[in-house]
Formats: sequence, C-alpha cells, structure tokens
Amino acid sequence: MSYLNKRLSLVAVACAFASTHAFAEDSSLTNPNISAVLDGFYQTGDRGLGGREEGFGLGETELAISANIDDMFYGKVTAILESHDGETEIELEEAFIQTMGLPAGLGIRAGRFLSDVGYLNNQHLHTDSFVDRPGAYRAFMGNHYFDDGVRLTYVAPTDLYWTMGVEVFKGDKMRAADMYEEHEEEGHDEEEHEEHGPREYDTVGVYSAFTKFGGDIGNSSSWQVGLSYLYNANGKVMVVEGEEEEGHADEEHDHEGHTHSASYTGENTYIADFVYKWAPNGNYKYQHLTVSGEYFRVTDTFSFEEGDHGHEEEDHDHEESHGDDYFEGWYLSGVYQFSPHWSAGVRYGEVDTYELHGDHLDPQKLKETELSLAWHHSHFSTVRLQYTNQKGTNFDGFEDDNIVSLQYVMTLGAHGAHQF
Amino acid sequence: MRINSKKLIVMGALCSAFLTSAANAQLNVFACEPEYAALAQEIAPEAKIYSATSAMQDPHLVQARPSLIAKMRQADLVVCAGADLEIGWLPMLQMKASNNKVRSTDNGLFYAAEHIDTLDKLEHVDRSMGDVHAKGNPHLHFDPRRMLQVANALSEKMAALDPEGAAGYQAKLTDFTDRWQQAIPKWEEQAAGLKGKKVIAYHSSFRYLFNWLGIEQVADLEPKPGIPPSSSHLAKLVNRSQEGDVMAILVTSYQDERGANWLGERTDLPVLILPMSVGGNSDSTDLFSLYDSVITMLTEVQ
Repeated sequence: MSYLNKRLSLVAVACAFASTHAFAEDSSLTNPNISAVLDGFYQTGDRGLGGREEGFGLGETELAISANIDDMFYGKVTAILESHDGETEIELEEAFIQTMGLPAGLGIRAGRFLSDVGYLNNQHLHTDSFVDRPGAYRAFMGNHYFDDGVRLTYVAPTDLYWTMGVEVFKGDKMRAADMYEEHEEEGHDEEEHEEHGPREYDTVGVYSAFTKFGGDIGNSSSWQVGLSYLYNANGKVMVVEGEEEEGHADEEHDHEGHTHSASYTGENTYIADFVYKWAPNGNYKYQHLTVSGEYFRVTDTFSFEEGDHGHEEEDHDHEESHGDDYFEGWYLSGVYQFSPHWSAGVRYGEVDTYELHGDHLDPQKLKETELSLAWHHSHFSTVRLQYTNQKGTNFDGFEDDNIVSLQYVMTLGAHGAHQF
Repeated sequence: MRINSKKLIVMGALCSAFLTSAANAQLNVFACEPEYAALAQEIAPEAKIYSATSAMQDPHLVQARPSLIAKMRQADLVVCAGADLEIGWLPMLQMKASNNKVRSTDNGLFYAAEHIDTLDKLEHVDRSMGDVHAKGNPHLHFDPRRMLQVANALSEKMAALDPEGAAGYQAKLTDFTDRWQQAIPKWEEQAAGLKGKKVIAYHSSFRYLFNWLGIEQVADLEPKPGIPPSSSHLAKLVNRSQEGDVMAILVTSYQDERGANWLGERTDLPVLILPMSVGGNSDSTDLFSLYDSVITMLTEVQ
C-alpha cells in the first residue's frame, strides 16, 4: 500500500491547490474536475456482511480527478480512503481511460473501473439513498465491484434506449476463499497441502456481459431494466474432504468484506435489475420518486473434491446434496424526495447463502429492513438518519438487531453529473 | 481544439454528405431546452427536432435518463444554452450516448452562450454563493437581440454540418430575422410602461428580460441561487414587499409557486406565473408567442 500512499498524496496536493472556481469551467487537461466526498457516521450496532461498524466512523472518503484528455480520450482517477479497526485503507477505486470519439455508438473503457453489471454497481456510494449497499451487494460484489480490465459498449441508434457491453477483468477480488492458504496460515500440516498443490487461479478471472433497455412513459415517468451475466473462473470454492474447515470460512468472509472482495462467490452470477423514476411533469427539482430493485443468483459455488484418502461413495453423496446449491439475494427500494430539502426511503432485502462447515454446507439467511430520512441543504450536502433491522440466521455475531445510523455525505469541488 | 476545427468541419461535412445520400438531408437536432428547439425549428423546419426538457422542467436538474441517451445517440446537432446550465447532466449524456458527432463545439455541439456576451460573469465562484455560474447567466433567451446573434450562429452551424441545406437555412434565417426585427419595436412599445418597475422574482431566470425592458428585480425568492425559498427568507421579504414600490411577484412555469403565493397573500401583491419557455403556457407555441405572452401578462398587472 505504500506506493499507493505516494500517488494519493499527489491527489491530495492537487486538491489542495485546486481553486474553488475550477468546477465552473470546462474540464480540460490544464483544468481538470477535482472533487472530494466526505462521509462520516455514528451507528449503534455492527452491520452484517461487511457493512458499517458500531460507533463513530468514516465511510469512503473519495478524491477524484477527471478531465477530457484530448478529443478522443477522457480519464478519471478516484482514490478512496477507508478506516476499519483503527487502520486506514487506501485504494484506487477508479483509474481509467474512456474513448469519446469512436464511431457507431461504440465505446471502450480500460484500466480500473466499476463494472456496469446490475443497477447500483456502477454508481458511486455517495449517491446512494441508504447508509450501506444492500446485503446482496455486500455478499456478492464486495460492496461494489471494481477491478482492472477492459470494457466494450455499444449503444443502438434506436428511440428505445438499448445498450450492451462486455467486460473482462483480472478478477482477483472475486476469487473464492482458498481453503489451502487458510490452513497454512494457521500452521496446520503443510506437507499435506503441498501434496495437493496450491490452487492455480486464472489470471484473467472475470468475464461479464450486460444489456440495458430504457425509456419514458409520458412526461413524468422514466424506466430502465437490465440483465447481466458474470462468469468468474475462480469463483468456485474447492473443498477437499477430510480437512478441517470449521468456522474459518466465516471469519474469512467478514474480513474480506472490508477489502472489497466478494464474500460469497460462485462460477456464474446472474443479475436482473430495474429502476423507475417519477417526477411531476418530469421536473425533478421539488418532488421525485425512485423505485428500484435487483435480483442476484450465484451458482456453482462449491466443488467437493475428494482428498487422497477419500472414497468414491462419499463423493457421490456430496454431489447429490450440494451440487445444485446456489446463493441468492434481492432488494427492493423506494425513495421519495418530497421537498428539495427532504427525502425518505424504505428498503427491504434478503440474502440466502451457505456457509461451509467441515464437509457440509449450512444455510444462512439475512433479512434487512431499512428506513431512511435525509435532509439535503443543497445538492452537495446530505445528513441522513436511518433505522435498520437485520435478521440473521446462522450468521456469526447477529441474529435480530435494531440499528440506528446517523450519517453525513457531502461533496466538494466539481459538479458530478449523476447517472440515471 | 480550435486548430482542428477546419479539419473537423470538413470531416463533419463529409459525414453528413455521406448520410445525406442515405437519409434525405434531414438534420437530427437534440435541443437541451424548448426555446432552442423552437429556434432550430425556425431555421430548419424540415429537421427532426427533439427537446430534452419542457418548460415545466428545471433545466438545472435533469436526469440523464435512458430516453435522452437514446435521442442523443442519433443526433447530428446538440443545441444547448451552455454557460454550465446543463453541467449536471449533459456530460453524462455525452459519455453514455457514444456519439462522436456531438462531442465538441468544433462539430455538432452548439452552446448559445458562447455566441453572445452573458450578463453577470463572475471572477470568483464559491459554493457558499449557491448554484451560480462563473460563465454568466445562462437564461439568455429573453433578450431578443442576443437571440438574433444566437440564430445567426446556429444557422452557420447547421450549414457547416449540412452544406447541401445551407441555402435553405440562410433563407429561413433571413425570414426569421425580418419577422423578429419587426417584432422587437412592437414588444418594446408594448412594454414601455414597465420601465423602472420593481418586482420580486424567483432565481435570476428573467435577468435578460428585466435587463432588456428596464425592470428592476429588488429581491429574490431564493435566499441563494438554487436554494428554494425558506420561511425565514420569505419573512424578510414581507417587509421589502410592503414598501409599496413592488409591482408583482414573478415565478416561472417550472418553479414552485407556494413561496410566492404565501408572500402574495401577506402583501396583497399579484403573483404571476410566467412561461419560462415555449410550452410554458397555452399561449406560448413558438418564440414570438412566448414573448407576446410574457409581455402581455406583465403589462396586464398594471
């Protein structure tokens, strides 16, 4: 992380020098858009699946620089700082170039960027209407999935909005938790692992494809639906029988949540999403309503391989009981801004996963009900009060918790143009 | 950027020449606001014109919604007010639409504010000042002489993008200019009585209209630009309203009239909801009738 520190201090220095009127002028190489997001909170309990923790804390503090590089390329760098357990984590969330001048509705993005699968994933956390991403995102996308790779998109020349895209990523943070490594860390018999050999991960691990459609209904309503598929070559957890696995998978998951790695992975992920927005006469200044929802299904999650001492019979047993297990998650959210200064939201979501215990899987279930009330002094400042009820089955640390969060999210610097 | 403009115009010309043979010389125009859709309509009545917003929608706050991406994807020309009015949504549309024809003002992008001298340019802009624009006030379509400059520039832009239609655009521009120049003295005569009158208005939406007609905006319903009227701010305005020199309280078609009505009730001042653009009321069907309607409404207050 130290090399990142250096880069980040450059970002910070750039921000310090940026004059406040920079945002009002054209972004070019000599005058980039520079922005920062401040996010702080107080919470009365811990959220599951890598959500925010109890007490005072900071969310993602974001520093971003973006500009048109020339008439063909646009570039953006976003650094995020996060603190967990007293340690500050620094990461580059975005560092990409995007073509702006390709013909025929084509576009290429390369570098590190947010995947465009699903609805929320390509949106920055500070635009959310709730304190944390839905459980499904925390479980399957590591909160929001960004990675090193390349994307090709196409927008069709039709009145009905229709776009499609394919992405290829390194996929490191979507790798399944490696059971061998875990044992090595804990000082178990290392010879045995060498016998099996460490897992060979694919260096290009994630492939995705997505399509989105959208349009208007009259003057007041707009909609978009999307379908996404994500193939994760390293997503399946390889379980070798006869080794002790108890409880470790869970610990690993909790930790991984903070490092933006997916907690629950599988080979195939399918996502369906929709968003519907309404404003009187399409005028978003005073009132508007946003209803959105997403469904995730993650399949081919575990592979039960025989150890050297295993029996064929046992193997068949497990194939039968676990072969078609899949993870699932969804949420439905409604947010109504009833005046320029106030908005209220309600969200309900579930996550169904399995936890590995020895050679068998225990089902886990998370149910989250959230109510939020936000005060917006301007477009750039929000103070949010949120109540969350989380019900967990077979999760470590929570069963039925009522949590209250108080959060501020404020942006300074460039006007961010927001996505639909 | 400017160095490349010739090359790009040639390229644009080649592109449109290519498209012309295929698609019958019809420019596809995406207008950010209805006043520019109306202006494009005057100069290129044959064009396919789409307005991204209506007079009922605040152009500062527009969603970069799918339908707009789809329309921009097909556009040959994007016409906007500029001066950062659309900064919260236009860049996102441009990125999502992947249409290289409308990326830059060197080719199919047109900002009206770049072709006139805007009022209220600011040396220094700070967020504590509210939502202000360093490049000056972008609501320039209520200044008839500035609009004529914009019409000239727009006609040139259309001719550059579609050389085959150049003669047609020039003829329509001449026709529009004649009618517009005949209308200006009529409007000025009709509005002569408004000179020196004082009003309270919402935002600086009518800055150019007031500047043209000599109306003075003595107070703003917004405590700061972009910040909606608060009760404490409105309470302060009561005193100002009762000094006896204020003619009316003005809001536009996309602004919330509740604050104005509250103030109007307490001070017995008339509240007018003026159309902000074409389509803002039933009388405003083009730029001429928009001006007619606004001036008639103002003069009828007296």
